[in-house]
Amino acid sequence: MIKTTNRRLTTCSDRGLLRYQRAGKGALVALAPALKGGAFLAILTGMAAFGSAAWAAPADIRTDFGDTDILVTLPQPALTQAPLPDNAAELADTIQQQILQARRDGDPRYLGYASGLLSQWPEDRLTDRLRVLRATVRQSLHQFDEARADLQTVITTANDPTQKRQAQLTLANLELVQGRYEQAAAQCQALIESSPGLVAHSCQAQVQGRTGQPQAAYQQLLDRTRAEQRHNSSARLWAEGTLADLAAQLGDARARDHWRFILSQHPDDLYTRARLADWFLDNDQPENTLSLTEGYEHVDSLAVIQTIAMLQTNHPQANAMITRLKERFSEARWRGSLLHERDLARFQLDVEGQPQQALSHALANWQDQREPEDTRLVLRASVAAGEDEPANTVRNWLNQHRQTDSRFPETDS
Amino acid sequence: MNRFLLPGLLFVAMLAASSSPAWAHKASDAFIYLDLDQSTVRVDLALRDLALEVPLDRNADRRVSGAELRAARGEITRYLEEGLLLANHSGSCALQGEQWGLSTHSDGPYAAALYQVSCPNGQVPESITYTLLFDRDPLHRGLVSLTYEGQETLAVIGPDDPTLALAATSFGSGRLFGTFLYEGVVHLLIGLDHILFLLVLMLPATIRRRETTGTRHTSVHAGLRPRLLELVGIVTAFTVAHSITLGLSALGVVRLPIAWVETIIALSVALAALNVIWPILGRKTWKLAFGFGLIHGFGFASVLGDLTTGVSQMAVALAGFNLGVELGQVALVLVVFPLLYLAARSRFYERAAVPAMLVAVGALSLYWVVERIAEI
Repeated sequence: MIKTTNRRLTTCSDRGLLRYQRAGKGALVALAPALKGGAFLAILTGMAAFGSAAWAAPADIRTDFGDTDILVTLPQPALTQAPLPDNAAELADTIQQQILQARRDGDPRYLGYASGLLSQWPEDRLTDRLRVLRATVRQSLHQFDEARADLQTVITTANDPTQKRQAQLTLANLELVQGRYEQAAAQCQALIESSPGLVAHSCQAQVQGRTGQPQAAYQQLLDRTRAEQRHNSSARLWAEGTLADLAAQLGDARARDHWRFILSQHPDDLYTRARLADWFLDNDQPENTLSLTEGYEHVDSLAVIQTIAMLQTNHPQANAMITRLKERFSEARWRGSLLHERDLARFQLDVEGQPQQALSHALANWQDQREPEDTRLVLRASVAAGEDEPANTVRNWLNQHRQTDSRFPETDS
Repeated sequence: MNRFLLPGLLFVAMLAASSSPAWAHKASDAFIYLDLDQSTVRVDLALRDLALEVPLDRNADRRVSGAELRAARGEITRYLEEGLLLANHSGSCALQGEQWGLSTHSDGPYAAALYQVSCPNGQVPESITYTLLFDRDPLHRGLVSLTYEGQETLAVIGPDDPTLALAATSFGSGRLFGTFLYEGVVHLLIGLDHILFLLVLMLPATIRRRETTGTRHTSVHAGLRPRLLELVGIVTAFTVAHSITLGLSALGVVRLPIAWVETIIALSVALAALNVIWPILGRKTWKLAFGFGLIHGFGFASVLGDLTTGVSQMAVALAGFNLGVELGQVALVLVVFPLLYLAARSRFYERAAVPAMLVAVGALSLYWVVERIAEI
């Protein structure tokens, strides 16, 4: 048996949306994945009652703050208090900004404001672009079926080819995240036919990588990227992200270089930051993890990775971070939506040493999201908890898709 | 592409993060702590969320100072009070401000307000309605902590259903028992068929009985004590009988069609009335009480079944409900029996009042029989 408890996995699986925009002479360019991070937790509607718990003990009510103390810095009102505009284009601009802000900052409140605006907008006045944006918000909230329905509507009925391609790309990404590779491949193929380029080929490479051909996918995409790197940087960034994922899957250290390139262009790409920070953990460089995650403690995925690195380096702040994360996750569990269920599972497995609970959250997450990090977490928690059944289910699924990953424990057993 | 165009915004975001690096980013939640033991409710709402609805940032520098928060106190508490409603079946509960200030949760500073809760009739609130911020942010939630008898229960209020019933299911077994005790009392007192049945059973014990010995009629003034004993026997027999069938039915051991049960209950009242005049079923009233008590138990069980949908602690509910029925019954006897006993001093009581009551009860119950058969 391979010792797996020291193995790490990355955190956030929700790849960001790519955005096609008209550039120059109407050529389509793919904008780089806005922060790919931000897998915000599914929101349970209605009420959920829990058993009694000590989670809820509130902090004292204080009145000892000074008049000149700055209690809080407020976000930009244009995105938080935006009134409902009268035209669809303006609304779409606002919602796009809110989605980007949510990703850039790892802040799900902006998705709430976007949902609020969308819910006030009449359904019969939804444009293709608004529908794609609504799907993106819904996907971020783990409302995958609703997101899929919106995207399919756009793909089958859209007059605007840009929005149709945006919908295809978003849907491909959604299917990829959920491990529905045939459906993802179909969308990527459609993209290659309608607008071939680095983005469409990255899409295809992702699917190939998850279905048994990571080496070939990596090499082909690398060649293509080198050939086309003089072209727009957004598509290049998207390809670099894909190359990094494929390299990490292959256990190839070039993953680090691809991620570093993206971060050098866009330090606010939280998804890439988390992946690279996690890669450092995997490769016994927790000091690098610490420096990469410093100042990003407000993002659950990065905070969990940082805490694991703190434990490995006997960092004096480790216990303080653990206390804060416990509070966060207990509030998230009270809410019931378990925003970052994968992060919670990771925290339980690697920080709290509770493999049973970790397994149960990892499995719940795996029902919705089957990116390598999600799969790996189920396998690790399953091994740590001494339960074969979940691991066998996952392995059967992996075999079915011929998916291999150097980071998976015991996949060949 | 927008992400490249907002260095200023990013800078501000980083500032906010660096000033309190420990604050998480999470979806918006209000924290509502309702303590029924202390009759208090506390609401915590993030300053950031509050600033969307209440003008906190008076100098518009996108920062809220301690002075700005203090200056907005009145508006903040008014806003919180508008969005929070506690109520019971008699009406809305009043909130009396007790404490106000600043609190923290994992994502930063919150305004917190603590209130004393006074509900109509001095009873506990039965529902909580929370409506703040849902229009602006459908992902906003009210996280409710309910403390009762030292036990804490957590719940969540969302825009789809802003009212949370503080139903018996949410409470500890003490509260559940109390609720069903109350329901038991109410059901007996508003269930006219049960009351009339008891009344008819009581009547023989109130009559100054004529003992028939041979051809000679002797009027015997029986003392209070044997009458009370007789009454206790009747009530006990009725209680034991309906407790048995209530329990069997509530726990799912025996189930009878409710339409037939109600018809037979109505018939039992008519037969009991008839039996006072012509004792076709014997003079031992307690036996009658026991026999028909069995069928009345199924009637109680039907009511209990309607009330216990979703209740997990069935045994507690059953015990509370049954005891409630008995208490209602005892209360009824304690009020009615002395009245009848006093009335029996009049010679019109036995000759006119009792027959009139029996005819009225008999007629009404036969009407019920017909009506209930028609519904079958």
